[in-house]
Amino acid sequence: MKLGTVIGRVTLSKSVDLLKGGRFLVVTPLSREQYAKGIDAKPGMGTDPSLVVYDDIGGGVNDIIGYEEGAEAAQPFDVRPPIDAINCALVDEMFYNPWKG
Amino acid sequence: MLLARVEGNIVATRKHPSLDAWRLVICQPIGKGGESEGTPVIAIDSHGAGMHQQVVISSDGIAARKAIGVDKSPVRWLVVGIVDEHEPGKRI
Repeated sequence: MKLGTVIGRVTLSKSVDLLKGGRFLVVTPLSREQYAKGIDAKPGMGTDPSLVVYDDIGGGVNDIIGYEEGAEAAQPFDVRPPIDAINCALVDEMFYNPWKG
Repeated sequence: MLLARVEGNIVATRKHPSLDAWRLVICQPIGKGGESEGTPVIAIDSHGAGMHQQVVISSDGIAARKAIGVDKSPVRWLVVGIVDEHEPGKRI
């Protein structure tokens, strides 16, 4: 799982049948510096490219989410849809203590 | 598999049901000298890795699903071991 900030939503008027009714979020991955600032810090853009994440647990804009990338993203479904990123956790709290040594 | 250092954990109420009761640790991938490389990843941990301990994490989704015992889980990263020592380097 990686953490990212939700910066928007996408809706599809025309899509592959398997994706009908799905929710999609635009997510910018959290950079190491943003981890250090914590999840209550002002949302900002990370350094890595943003991505679209399939969402079935209800993430909203400015939420910090944990998303999984790769073939595993399609794993929860009976028929594997063509997705490669899925929202799997809405982060409530984060305890982060970077190593300084 | 990556060498990583545990730098914290996250708490999520709303999550995929397969992750219930699993410890989710923030793992920072590191180089041979212990320097950070890249952005942190969240892994499931069944070994009880402590803060700033060095671990080996694997992105093998099949093994991770086996570990949690749910076939329809999106989980991918898991802590496969806690590092005792590595070379070059010193005992941790």
